[in-house]
Amino acid sequence: MSMELEHVSFTYSKGTPYEKEVLHDISLTIEKSDFTAIIGHTGSGKSTLIQNLNGLLHPTAGRALIEGTDLAGKSPEARAARSKVGMVFQYPEHQLFAETVYEDVAFGPRNLGLGEDEVERRVREAMAFVGLDYEALARRSPFNLSGGQMRRVAIAGVVSMQPEYLILDEPSAGLDPGARRDVFREILELYRKRKMGMIMVTHSMEDALQFATRLIVLNDGRVFLDGKPADLFRERRQELIRVGMDIPEIYKLADALRAAGIDIPETITDRAALVKVLRRRKGGK
Amino acid sequence: METKNERPFIEITDLTHLYSDAENHEVKALDQVTLSVQPGEFVAIIGTNGSGKSTLARHLNALLLPTEGTVKIRDMDTLDESRLWDIRQDVGMVFQNPDNQIVAAIVEEDVAFGPENIGVPPAEIRERVEKALQAVGMTEYRMRAPHLLSGGQKQRVAIAGTLALGSRCIVFDEPTAMLDPQGRQEIVRTVRTLNREKGITVLYITHNMVEAIHANRVVVMKKGKILFQGTPKEVFSRVDELEALGLEAPLAAKVASELRKTGVPLPEGIITNEELAQALA
Repeated sequence: MSMELEHVSFTYSKGTPYEKEVLHDISLTIEKSDFTAIIGHTGSGKSTLIQNLNGLLHPTAGRALIEGTDLAGKSPEARAARSKVGMVFQYPEHQLFAETVYEDVAFGPRNLGLGEDEVERRVREAMAFVGLDYEALARRSPFNLSGGQMRRVAIAGVVSMQPEYLILDEPSAGLDPGARRDVFREILELYRKRKMGMIMVTHSMEDALQFATRLIVLNDGRVFLDGKPADLFRERRQELIRVGMDIPEIYKLADALRAAGIDIPETITDRAALVKVLRRRKGGK
Repeated sequence: METKNERPFIEITDLTHLYSDAENHEVKALDQVTLSVQPGEFVAIIGTNGSGKSTLARHLNALLLPTEGTVKIRDMDTLDESRLWDIRQDVGMVFQNPDNQIVAAIVEEDVAFGPENIGVPPAEIRERVEKALQAVGMTEYRMRAPHLLSGGQKQRVAIAGTLALGSRCIVFDEPTAMLDPQGRQEIVRTVRTLNREKGITVLYITHNMVEAIHANRVVVMKKGKILFQGTPKEVFSRVDELEALGLEAPLAAKVASELRKTGVPLPEGIITNEELAQALA
């Protein structure tokens, strides 16, 4: 089960004086079983790439496929393929519009032409999946919820369409640390329990390290690096910094400790493991 | 800081802000907030979404007005309409989304927009724009189209706009939330330079605790109130309290706190990687 980009190039305003190629001959297979993070500087092509993955944009050259079906075109197969990919845009709470949480989450399923019983079933299920209490919140105005709750309502609106893949554009931007934890708890649940393929665009190296199983680094419209997050952050930091990226704080702390003569294994990628190592070295319990 | 004898730049007294939400309930976004900021100070404000940080920021240049209490900028009351434009020149605002703050098609025109609006003579506008662009390191981009700049560059243009207007205080409302890592570093560096070298008073709202480490003072807000405040060392050492509030201390402070709990002797006040490394070496 996978999404594929075959030699995909994408040019904006093709055939005009403003024509600009932003993706250059990208070939990628994104496995449904992966939690894929895509990072890259502003203008590196991340947004264009994910829009090609969900059929909002079609490649100017090459093909985008899902389970072998080309996303472009008007055939029922192409349309069905596109509906397998849900997209949660940046700051999705800005796109909430309905008077109640229920109406907002129900918008997608109703557009699919489902009966009201099925719509309600899906709204209940989607709200449960993102950790929103149906009885308490369904009749509330989405605009009176906290930032983290609003974002989860927006995610529920996409989940209620029952996609097989979910693309998230900067899911934690602008959220406080607690709300970020809540949002990711639900995203991981969708990934692990619902087995939704996850593709996340992020500027947060911390999110990429903590949640992703695969990291793709774009630079100037090309795949610059591709591998396991911990491997890339450990072995390719000079290259990452050169293309305007950064390394997670835990690596910086480990470096500072090494510089002070404390031996920290290269394999440390989280706080608990680091505390364990330091505790042993310094004779704590 | 040697500012004790000066009048505060910002003086907020018992500020309460009420509004009606979409369900017509009255909400207290700010609840008797008292805070003063000295000229040249760098104050970071942290708090969860909905804690009142942004509402507070919008009171500082009279985008919002008090329901109760007062906000004074260099002794000018924001309720005094005759001082509105003086207040807005004194206090510049830089918001989260760089794309919402650009008005012109060329960088230098964008920076000139503010001073033009208040009738500054053309020769002086040119001088102000040049100095402002220099202060944020954007001189070489002055003839560029703003929409082709990176996020960090756009935010620096927005900062230059406030400087050209003559602002001596800049309020930043999560200025790095939408930026890539390099853009984030550009903004952090620019803000520090303006504060240290140009004496610009800074109010910096952020969810990124690492960005608050450079402040003189960190103010923690919850539900419209100031919960506690202090130097970054004092505030970020309260690791468990911050966690309980839905905030997060910097990584080094968290690791130090966890090590102390397991009996590793460490001095208080460790918040940076280097401090932790030194204490453990």
